[in-house]
Amino acid sequence: MIRLIRAEFLKLRTTQVWFWLLLATIAVGALLAVANIAPHDGIRSEEKVPDLFATFAASPAYILVFVLGVLGVTTEFRYQTITPTVLQTPSRWAIVTAKMITYAITGALYAAVALLAEAAVGVPWLNSKNIPVHFGNSEVQHAILGTFGVIALFGIIGLGVGALIRNQIVAVVVGIIFLIVLENILLAIPVVKKAWPYTPNGGTQAILYTHGDATPVNGVHLLSTWSGVVVLLLWAFVPAILGAAITMNRDIT
Amino acid sequence: MSAPGGQIVVDDLTKVFGGNVRAVDQLSFSVEPGSITGFLGPNGAGKTTTLRMVLGLVRPTSGRATIGGVPYRQLPNPTQTVGAALESASFHPARTARNHLRIMCTVADLPMQRADEMLDLVGLHDAARRKVRGFSMGMRQRLSLAAALLGEPQVVVLDEPANGLDPDGIRWLRGLLRHLAEQGRTVLVSSHQLNEVEEVADRVVILNHGRLVRAGSIAELSAGTDSVLVRSPNLQALHTALTGQPVTVEPVDPTAVRVRGMSAAQLGNLAFTAGVELHELSLQRFDLEELFFSLTSGQ
Ligand SMILES: Nc1ncnc2c1ncn2[C@@H]1O[C@H](COP(=O)(O)OP(=O)(O)OP(=O)(O)O)[C@@H](O)[C@H]1O
Ligand SMILES: [Mg+2]
Repeated sequence: MIRLIRAEFLKLRTTQVWFWLLLATIAVGALLAVANIAPHDGIRSEEKVPDLFATFAASPAYILVFVLGVLGVTTEFRYQTITPTVLQTPSRWAIVTAKMITYAITGALYAAVALLAEAAVGVPWLNSKNIPVHFGNSEVQHAILGTFGVIALFGIIGLGVGALIRNQIVAVVVGIIFLIVLENILLAIPVVKKAWPYTPNGGTQAILYTHGDATPVNGVHLLSTWSGVVVLLLWAFVPAILGAAITMNRDIT
Repeated sequence: MSAPGGQIVVDDLTKVFGGNVRAVDQLSFSVEPGSITGFLGPNGAGKTTTLRMVLGLVRPTSGRATIGGVPYRQLPNPTQTVGAALESASFHPARTARNHLRIMCTVADLPMQRADEMLDLVGLHDAARRKVRGFSMGMRQRLSLAAALLGEPQVVVLDEPANGLDPDGIRWLRGLLRHLAEQGRTVLVSSHQLNEVEEVADRVVILNHGRLVRAGSIAELSAGTDSVLVRSPNLQALHTALTGQPVTVEPVDPTAVRVRGMSAAQLGNLAFTAGVELHELSLQRFDLEELFFSLTSGQ
């Protein structure tokens, strides 16, 4: 398994996608810091500081790592490198597991980069406004840990969706439409919106916001942090398992 | 060389695509170690589909294929047991040739310098650090071959490896295949280039419409098909001389006949003894192409 994971990292390193998405992550992290501090209703007091570190995972920026995960499988089908991959490792479970671990680690690394970008822009700025940033603060720590967890899981979610759908364009488009468009439509429909807390965004909000039930979104109450973790784990593992069990076994011609 | 017993067995294999395309139909044959087997058939005959089933990439509708008695998907070290080159297109265009092989080395736990050794072997030394995007067809073909031979496999399966190779490359490939077979490896090569196959293969398996039409060694297939063309101004005397001999005689034109069952030397001797004047005495070799067309046309 270690060999397979090392090979997956080598695959990732020897193409350019990781680089462009990393640049985008840095840029988005910095921009999100600006967007959280610059406006009049931005961060103006110490208790709002955790928002600075939750913003990357809480905004659609997680799409960057989701896409990286999707490409982790679908690129192989697009360029048929899946043929040598499967010839060397006939077990689809082994392939998908190695990729899940690789993209979870990669997701965590991107989360670290995003957090650093947010801190680099946000911390000096807030200090200049006399708002102190304490990394010992438990809510700040919650936001940081939550971001690591959520972004790592979105790496796996992307990977699972890629394994399930196989087609690169379809997987990226379906994923983005679902995460950004459908979930918001869902949230706008009465009754049906009760399902929203169980969507990836619903789970993410539950993980990131310690206020939990106190801040309903569109009148829908969030789950608890740990229930949010379970929801996101299911979104990460179910598509990956279905992919490894079913679609990855389809004929490779 | 690793796992012993590199026999490939295809047993009653059938593949139906999408419910109605019968790509491979109850196909059975075996491929022996230490020999080169040519896998022939017209376009769409089912060669690639068969090879993909042997390699566990396509699930048979029925029947099974094994390598050394084991289905491909259950091989413990596939890279070190079977090397396959299927399509020249299975590379990431932005990855270099060397990195492609290094990834494979990592998975198979081979030392990284194997990648460079193989690139040298297939003549891609100078292109090792170039992106595959810019590779010609023949260069991709060579890279596929390097990937197939990376783990020094006992069994080598190549789908149209001569496609895109220049004449030098084809000659080199022929030598390489011979060399692999001499080392006791099992070599299965599909091809359209019948002359190439005839020159290098020990055995052939001929496929048409997904069905086996003929399998056997070149020697078996050509047995009794060699003939001698005899030209003489006095065919009547030749016929008389041949009476009672174990031969078949078939007219070619008013001054020549085709004789089977006797070598050119024996015929020359017979004619000399009988005092028959000869203007031509030539061996007509077995022609795989002719056999191929007679087996696969008009169906
Ligand atoms: N994925 C697929 N879906 C549907 N039909 C397929 C598929 N793959 C192959 N076929 C069909 O199966 C038949 C055999 O194709 P195959 O590629 O095995 O032939 P081949 O002998 O390799 O031909 P060629 O010499 O052109 O490479 C063809 O009729 C082809 O159209
Ligand atoms: Mg083919």
